[in-house]
Amino acid sequence: MTANNIDDPQKRIGLEAFLRAAAGANAVHIRKLYRLSGGAVQENWAIDADMTGGTHPGPHQWVLRTDAAARVEASLKRAEEFEILRVAHLHGLHAPQPLWLCRDTAITGREFFIMQRLPGIASGHRVTREPELVPDGALLARELATNLARLHEIKPPQPRLTFLDTMLARDNVAQYRRYLDQLSSAHPALEWGLRWCEINAPVDEETTFIHRDYRTGNYLVHEGRLAGVLDWEFAAFGNPLEDVGWIFAKCWRFAGKAKPAGGIADAEDFLLPYQEAAGREVPPSALVYWQVMAHIRWAIIALQQARRHLSGSEPSLELALTGSIVAELEHEIVSLTR
Amino acid sequence: MALMNDTADARDLLDIARSTLLNQVLPHVPGELRYEALMIANAMAIAAREHAAGDRPARDELTRLRDLFGENDQPPHRALDAAIAHYNRRLAADIRAGRFDDKKRDALLYHLQRTSTDKVAIANPKALEDTKRG
Repeated sequence: MTANNIDDPQKRIGLEAFLRAAAGANAVHIRKLYRLSGGAVQENWAIDADMTGGTHPGPHQWVLRTDAAARVEASLKRAEEFEILRVAHLHGLHAPQPLWLCRDTAITGREFFIMQRLPGIASGHRVTREPELVPDGALLARELATNLARLHEIKPPQPRLTFLDTMLARDNVAQYRRYLDQLSSAHPALEWGLRWCEINAPVDEETTFIHRDYRTGNYLVHEGRLAGVLDWEFAAFGNPLEDVGWIFAKCWRFAGKAKPAGGIADAEDFLLPYQEAAGREVPPSALVYWQVMAHIRWAIIALQQARRHLSGSEPSLELALTGSIVAELEHEIVSLTR
Repeated sequence: MALMNDTADARDLLDIARSTLLNQVLPHVPGELRYEALMIANAMAIAAREHAAGDRPARDELTRLRDLFGENDQPPHRALDAAIAHYNRRLAADIRAGRFDDKKRDALLYHLQRTSTDKVAIANPKALEDTKRG
């Protein structure tokens, strides 16, 4: 994949100048700058820097977040993600604090923002496989659940978040059908999943702020506790139970297939604290419904990723292999809707 | 016992290339390329399974599709891949229009279950074991 190489002397000088101006500092010295792993859609760069004077004097560990070469169609722009992080932070959610947004593409070649770098491990494979990282799965599930309940307290309208789409169950079905119609071949198992979601769509739906990628692999675990939720680029207004179905979906359990709550805990360890904190029931049928939708959504994103490779626009083994997970997702959709 | 060939076929080549990669090359691959090396091994394993299965899954899929549309008494008039693509387009449109909601629902689910199982058996057979256990 073509990385936007930020670690170039010219860009580094530009970045220091941007940070100096943004923080009103006398001087900024970048000690280390390196690409963090993960992120086919966004690139994250770690920055270790010292600041003299200004709003943030002292040593710092930041993340610079910017677009990767190609974007997923449904993902938000960096400026929008920055606003979302501000709202999340104002509401006391576990999320990195956003610091400065740079819309001037002359500095690194793309829009970017700087946020606080939180400690911890995000890797879904490690979090679900290494007990020393998560000694108490129920505790972590409870923290994830109460944090999600608090996230769902954010209700529309939000003056800072006017750019967000509203995506209730039927909006999801319509959007995924539009995506399928853009592909070159037909996908009957996904069509069946969508038809099932159409027939079984909830009659009444609550609308709240939703994260839409709240799952193992997208949060940091530090000393067994929830340190922060990452990757807010798919956020929208929608049915809060969509987020619950997403973190329960089998495709996000990694090595912990037998633990329905994100591969780290039993269902009740998440559902009971969520229901209590949110004052909202999660009926078993809704949990199945949103897991079916989760698998459809992930299958469609995987097909889009595979197409980036197959079209020749971005030859990549990782993108090609992403296409090979569609079979498992279809298999799970069929199992859940029988 | 199967007849032995005098030269390695695609499956043999992929298998031996993969085990050489994993056993001899991987220990010397620097950490930052380890993920790439494992992805290469995974891609080779998928290709080897696909080659070993041959066109059996596709022929079975086509037979089931033609059963669903009650057309197995007519001779096929397309190449295998083109025929599958044709029936899948029809099937997708019919599912969306609700024509498989009721009495043809069980037949559809049987077909989808078999088709997705065959595909998982090539893409990631371990997932089928997980399903049986889970």
